[in-house]
Amino acid sequence: MPLQLDIASILLNGLQQGAIYALLGIGLTIILGTMEFLNLAHGALYLVGAYTGLIVFQETALTNGLLYSSGITTIGFEGGFLAALIVVPIVGFGVGLLMERFVAEPFYDRPETDQLLVTFGLALIVEETIKNVIGGNTFQSIAPQTIFGVNVSQPVNLPVVGLFPSWRLFIIVIAFVVIAATWLAIERTDFGLVVQAGTHDSEMVRILGIPINRSYSLVFALGAALAAFAGLIGASIQTLSPQIGTDQALLPAFLTIVVGGAGSVRGAIAGGLVLGLIISAMTQTYSQWAQIVLYLFVALMLVFRPEGLFGSGEVGE
Amino acid sequence: MSGDRSDGGTDVVPDGGTVTEGTAGGSGGSALAGLRDRDDFVVVAMAAALVVFPFLLIDVLGAIGEVIGISIGGYSGLPSLVLIYGIIVIGFNLLLGYTGLLSFGHAAFFGSAAYSAALFSQVVPSPILMVIVGTIVATLLAWPIGFVSIRRSGVYFAVLTLTFGQALYFYALGPGAWLTNGDNGFSGIEAHGLFVGAIPLDAQLIPVFDSYTVMYAFAAVVMLIAVWVANRIINSPYGLIFEALGENEERVEFVGLNVFRYKLMAFVISAVFAGVGGAMFVIHEQYIHPTTGLYWIQSGDFVIMTVLGGTGSLVGPVFGALVFEYVANVISGVTLPVVGSIGSLWRFVLGAVFVFIVWVFPRGIYGAFSDLGSRLLGGGSEESAAADGGEHE
Repeated sequence: MPLQLDIASILLNGLQQGAIYALLGIGLTIILGTMEFLNLAHGALYLVGAYTGLIVFQETALTNGLLYSSGITTIGFEGGFLAALIVVPIVGFGVGLLMERFVAEPFYDRPETDQLLVTFGLALIVEETIKNVIGGNTFQSIAPQTIFGVNVSQPVNLPVVGLFPSWRLFIIVIAFVVIAATWLAIERTDFGLVVQAGTHDSEMVRILGIPINRSYSLVFALGAALAAFAGLIGASIQTLSPQIGTDQALLPAFLTIVVGGAGSVRGAIAGGLVLGLIISAMTQTYSQWAQIVLYLFVALMLVFRPEGLFGSGEVGE
Repeated sequence: MSGDRSDGGTDVVPDGGTVTEGTAGGSGGSALAGLRDRDDFVVVAMAAALVVFPFLLIDVLGAIGEVIGISIGGYSGLPSLVLIYGIIVIGFNLLLGYTGLLSFGHAAFFGSAAYSAALFSQVVPSPILMVIVGTIVATLLAWPIGFVSIRRSGVYFAVLTLTFGQALYFYALGPGAWLTNGDNGFSGIEAHGLFVGAIPLDAQLIPVFDSYTVMYAFAAVVMLIAVWVANRIINSPYGLIFEALGENEERVEFVGLNVFRYKLMAFVISAVFAGVGGAMFVIHEQYIHPTTGLYWIQSGDFVIMTVLGGTGSLVGPVFGALVFEYVANVISGVTLPVVGSIGSLWRFVLGAVFVFIVWVFPRGIYGAFSDLGSRLLGGGSEESAAADGGEHE
């Protein structure tokens, strides 16, 4: 295969992986930036999204599951992944609200080591709950055959790139739609203004009389919904097991915001894409070294550009 | 990062039953004067605890288990395993509990020591030399990692240590497989020969009690040395600076001390303990794999043990190691009347207990007990008494 084709597929795969990292990173970074709360349970939210997606996908599939056995799917509508696309962010949002209220809030004024410790414990609990309730075994990815009536099971022939899995193409599109929507919500709405102001100086926002506590809940829930959504996307392209919460979500999310700059949404998107491209390029060339290069790259970033690509260098210290 | 966990600057030194108070800011002069006595006392009390520990863990709990019909006694290898993790978390606590730095990458030192000890055993299968070699490798590794990580604080420090640890893990799993045997790991690592002689490590020391093995004696001696060294550090002016760093880094800087140097030393010292533990782990388990040795969850386990047991006291974390390993190895095998088999639920229970402890008792199980003890003994405002350096019995 000629070199240019390799580069094109590296770029596309990098975009797709980078989109997942960006979704995770945005959630982590707005929570860290606004509330100065360090959430080691972010990977657990990814797991919640992935497993909720799995259950919804199975139960609303055409041929078996809850909907099928109750006779609803006779209308010929493939619920599967579409239903998961709607249900998963809602579940993530709800879990985020609960987490903010019962786990995060009591720890806002505690040392950040305590925040790390309690969310680390929470992550353990979620992971173990999934293991004991759903099972610790591996599940196949839940990519659908068709979505919106379009067949996505076959690769498409793209110019320059050549054959590329159409499902992955779909993922890139939908992930960037969500990222763009989040971006607009934070850049163009009043809610986003409060979040941005809170990132800079939450005390000042409170003094101005803005009910920042309500914003806190919303920010936390939004971050959780994004993480859950990332989990759903991840579940559609990778096998699923309870361990992936840390390896494929929590650690990449942290790496993403370190590269992008803590507290910056723009940074999370840029950082996610940079890391996605690195992973994609390394996987297609020296796959054994992919993870090592990723981690060392981040370590070097921390040493030589500690504030990240777009960060202020103050958040999280 | 401003960890104000060691409130008032008092730490309480446990010693198997009685409670004596450690030194702290308030009682600097008398503490230095009584240092030698206290040193001896801590080591002797620890030695006494180590003598009865396997008996309590295996024979007494085993007997109780027979009565109630649930096997809650430990097995013969468990006491050594608890001591090995205890050694590690005593060192880890010097970093987390005293200096206030939360590392999520100590598996790197544990694992590198374990691997180098395992490799060295193929040349000279001497347990003592294996520990020395493993510790040297861990120390040499800790220096550059600490040098880079210490530059950042808070979450960045935690993430940096984590990234180095993970890079090492993936190296051991993939490109470094020629050295580490990759995903297959090493098994059947044997330590015998020099120093401990031709006596097998699982040989019984005392005929009646099979829990007292040569391995246990070896681990107990190393544990005593570790406790002595850690106690020495904590009660030295050097250790007081570690503690001051945990309370207020800026103030230490304003006094004119080189904060970077002290933090780096705390990091390296804690890595030395992890290295000793890693080499001992390989000798004890005769097995090492990237997941048990280098994966970040192993670092997380050190964190859990330390916080469970209690930061800010010398051997508090050892209680955490005991609880952790006991739950992991004994409780996980228990079958309860109503709940049924505990099995893989143990980590769930542990996570829940961990969250509870962080939430309600930031100073851990040991801290909670010593608070309770001083409340019962002192009655009234023990908080202020503790701030003055504790009360004398």
